[in-house]
Amino acid sequence: MGRAYRAVFGMRAKMELQYRGAVLGGFVCQVFFGLILVSLYRALYRGRPQALPIETVASYVWLQQAFFRMLLSSDNDLADKIRTGDIAYDLCRPVDMYRFYYARIAAQKLVGSLLRGVPMIVFAFLLPKGWGLMPPASPLALLCALASLTLGLLCVSAMENITMGITMRTLDPRGVQALLNLLMTLMAGNILPLTLFPDAWQRVLSFLPWTQMLDAPIRLYTGVRETSSVWGVLGVQIFWTAALGLLGMELWKRNREKLVLQGG
Amino acid sequence: MGPFRLYLKSTAMNMRIRMQYPLSFLMQTLAQLVMEGGELLAVILIVDRFDTLDRWTGGDLYFFFGMMSVTFYLTEFLGRGVTGTFPSIVRSGQLDTLLLRPRGVLTQVLCSDADPRRIVCIAVGIAALCMGSAASRVRWTFLKALALGEAILCGMLLTLGLFLIEAVFCIFSVKSVELVNALTYGGRSACQYPVDIFPRPLRTLFTAAVPFALTLQIPAAYVLDKPLFPWPAWTVFVCPLSGAAVFFAMAAVFRRALKRYRSTGS
Repeated sequence: MGRAYRAVFGMRAKMELQYRGAVLGGFVCQVFFGLILVSLYRALYRGRPQALPIETVASYVWLQQAFFRMLLSSDNDLADKIRTGDIAYDLCRPVDMYRFYYARIAAQKLVGSLLRGVPMIVFAFLLPKGWGLMPPASPLALLCALASLTLGLLCVSAMENITMGITMRTLDPRGVQALLNLLMTLMAGNILPLTLFPDAWQRVLSFLPWTQMLDAPIRLYTGVRETSSVWGVLGVQIFWTAALGLLGMELWKRNREKLVLQGG
Repeated sequence: MGPFRLYLKSTAMNMRIRMQYPLSFLMQTLAQLVMEGGELLAVILIVDRFDTLDRWTGGDLYFFFGMMSVTFYLTEFLGRGVTGTFPSIVRSGQLDTLLLRPRGVLTQVLCSDADPRRIVCIAVGIAALCMGSAASRVRWTFLKALALGEAILCGMLLTLGLFLIEAVFCIFSVKSVELVNALTYGGRSACQYPVDIFPRPLRTLFTAAVPFALTLQIPAAYVLDKPLFPWPAWTVFVCPLSGAAVFFAMAAVFRRALKRYRSTGS
């Protein structure tokens, strides 16, 4: 038990390692976007400095750029299988389909974001102060952020499986998937750092599932959330990971009972 | 049939094709609304927190944002063949067929697709222009309207020209080149804001090399009565032509690249 899923995880991780050329192109692109965003926020801060130092905002931008791939990558093979009806073969496999695809997507997100994230973090560290990534608020904050990031990965993978579960119903990946993904970029702080949202919004947003993925670990890293409140942060993350996981499993189970296959 | 009528007919047809699955079309359009609405929301939240950006007020920022989104998404709507489908035309070997037909390849590529989903993005852009115009109390004159029209038209040509760079790479490498996205999508993201807020290297890039500042922002700043650069007034109508120049230069390069094209096989 569990060996099959570990094998799927390992295979998918190796596959993700193959596309190193695409990684380089993507890296240059992300760096460019990061520089544009940091320049914009610096210009805004020139006119009206905020309580939150610019170093924190710049770090937020770079960490979002570094782990962009964790947020936005989806299993195109599965989407294709749903579209062509090949998903019927997956139903014949002697494994639990939900866990099978959960292992795949988690591997893809982990390796995809490490490949892009590690060079990006090194690059952002080398930038001058106020432009680049600041060191973690404390060694303990780094540890908390890493724990939180791990939970974030589990949470975003569960979310991805829900999106896929809905796609199995609508059969067309473009509509629902695009809608949910775009909603995610906004609500997870990729378009505008959530720390710059109105304060009242932030309090509500921090309890929603989208902030559990990247926003929570970044806040712990930069010290916006104190390490003393770490148990609260991790608790909300665990809650959403479990809730989204159970919801997804139920959705996939029902899909299995009345799955409409396309093609012929 | 002349190229222009051919284009109009194909675009009407492409739009009907896209709407064959109404529910899916509706969902995708809704997704576009979330995307562009989210971008506008970001600007609104920025204005809410910071009020001004250097010498630009909130209204000015909405206006700049609107200029960019109307221009960029009109291009994606009407020129989807160049901005979206071209890599797959090359990869599937369909380009060989286009070369055999008695019409220009660029015309045919432009005729190959249209993307009516972008209408909502254009609507968001128009809303931003109206918000900006009202908040900054713009006094409209005939000349200002003319400058706006010219800017959007030239901006569309510039955007097409930038996507043609990607197309040229694609002819040689078959794979689409993510790197060029830095110029197209990066240019869009950066030039939603007036370029004079950026550090010199970025400012120079978006003025001299990828001239969004010349085509879109000088006219926008003229409409707002706050010149972007201390240049004489007539430059407002000359500078946007640089966008058209980029397009015609890239179209020439595209034609030369096609001469070197060696099919994708099978």
